[in-house]
Amino acid sequence: MSHIHLPDGVLPVWLWASGFIVVILIWAILLRSMKKEDLTRRLPLLGMMAAVMVLGASVEIVPIAYHVNLTVISGILLGPSLIFLANFVVNTILALFGHGGITVIGLNTLTLSIEGVLGYFLFRLFWKVLKRLTPAVFLATFIALIFSTFAMIGVVSLGTSHYEELIHQERGKGIVGFEFGKEKEEHHPGQTAEEKVNLRRFIAIVLPLGFIGWILEGVITALIARYIRRLRPDLLHLEKESQ
Amino acid sequence: MIQLSYLDYIAVEKKSFLHRLSPKLKIIGMIGVLFVIVTVRNLPGLLLLYVILLTLYFTAKVPVRIFSLTLYPLIFAVLFIFLSGFQIYFILLILLKVLCGSTGVVLLLATTPYPSIFSALGRVLPSSFVIALFLTYRSIFILLTVLEDTQHALSLRGGIQWKHPWRSLTNISNAFGHLIIQGIDASEKMYESMVLRGFKGKIHYRGE
Repeated sequence: MSHIHLPDGVLPVWLWASGFIVVILIWAILLRSMKKEDLTRRLPLLGMMAAVMVLGASVEIVPIAYHVNLTVISGILLGPSLIFLANFVVNTILALFGHGGITVIGLNTLTLSIEGVLGYFLFRLFWKVLKRLTPAVFLATFIALIFSTFAMIGVVSLGTSHYEELIHQERGKGIVGFEFGKEKEEHHPGQTAEEKVNLRRFIAIVLPLGFIGWILEGVITALIARYIRRLRPDLLHLEKESQ
Repeated sequence: MIQLSYLDYIAVEKKSFLHRLSPKLKIIGMIGVLFVIVTVRNLPGLLLLYVILLTLYFTAKVPVRIFSLTLYPLIFAVLFIFLSGFQIYFILLILLKVLCGSTGVVLLLATTPYPSIFSALGRVLPSSFVIALFLTYRSIFILLTVLEDTQHALSLRGGIQWKHPWRSLTNISNAFGHLIIQGIDASEKMYESMVLRGFKGKIHYRGE
């Protein structure tokens, strides 16, 4: 639910362009802070986990338009720096398959990275406190998803004035509208409440569906972690944390 | 995602005028399509773009079988329509923008082999990003093979049944867990074989 499935041309240019700028800046900082050999060695792992996330995203639960992201489990396995890079790659590939537009890759990377990075740190925290894997992973995933869903709602709400402009386009505006600045608020005298952008309705739909999604993803991530612990406990680096 | 290998197959095997066109030109064309989607805000303009893309789709002999890929993003657009207060004009605008974007992308992927796309992107984007993209794309194919075997094992263990939600969830999670472990093992082998072939942080494409 935290993934912005918005098509191209719906969000204002300043918003999606800012998303790209922030992502490029973070990418550059991360690349500078990582050793080149270390990154080169871990690129195949990054690619593989990104592929797992892409496959997870392709398993659609149609009635609630939800798919598992697997961002938190990938964050736990990859660490906070690599999960950001992996998210950028995942969103680029998903955009090529219609999971949101190409222009929203930057914003999608940021919202999914909130999930992955927060999930990583919350898992470490809950593991230290609870010392039990399943509840630690479930809580980390659930809370991280709440944050990323609200981040997504925040992004959607930032474009409100732009959507209103699109809705009222039929009232005699030009063919092409291209504004780099923040869109002007336009008030039409005969505008009824129904013609306005209904953000409340959007939130009222997203949050209940999201809640089901948070629980589903939390349970699936916890069960995946339990499976990994049974077969390859070294991947979770739990011993290091419990010392 | 399962259609990915088929998409790749037709990108290599089919021989239409779009297949023969330079990947660089097709990527520029896709950027042009995106520019139109972002800037044009009226229905006739977007409808014209969609008709052009459909004409290209069918003249490039891209199989109808993968046309459903261009309709897939409509599932997500439905959620966004609730924002508008069900204004017909807005709904049609969103649907056309979605269809133009997805048809353009499917057209690009179905007529251009992916190494050519990555090779062209590698000239303008950072190499670490393009390598990560390439390795992810490659890994999807590896995981799809693992997934096929896993699906058989999954169905032998009861598969996914709405009557038994907990068992289904456990099965799905175990399948993903299996996929992750197999994937990590494969990534270690992939790195070793890449190093043996002289990989030092850059991938060279054929013709470079």
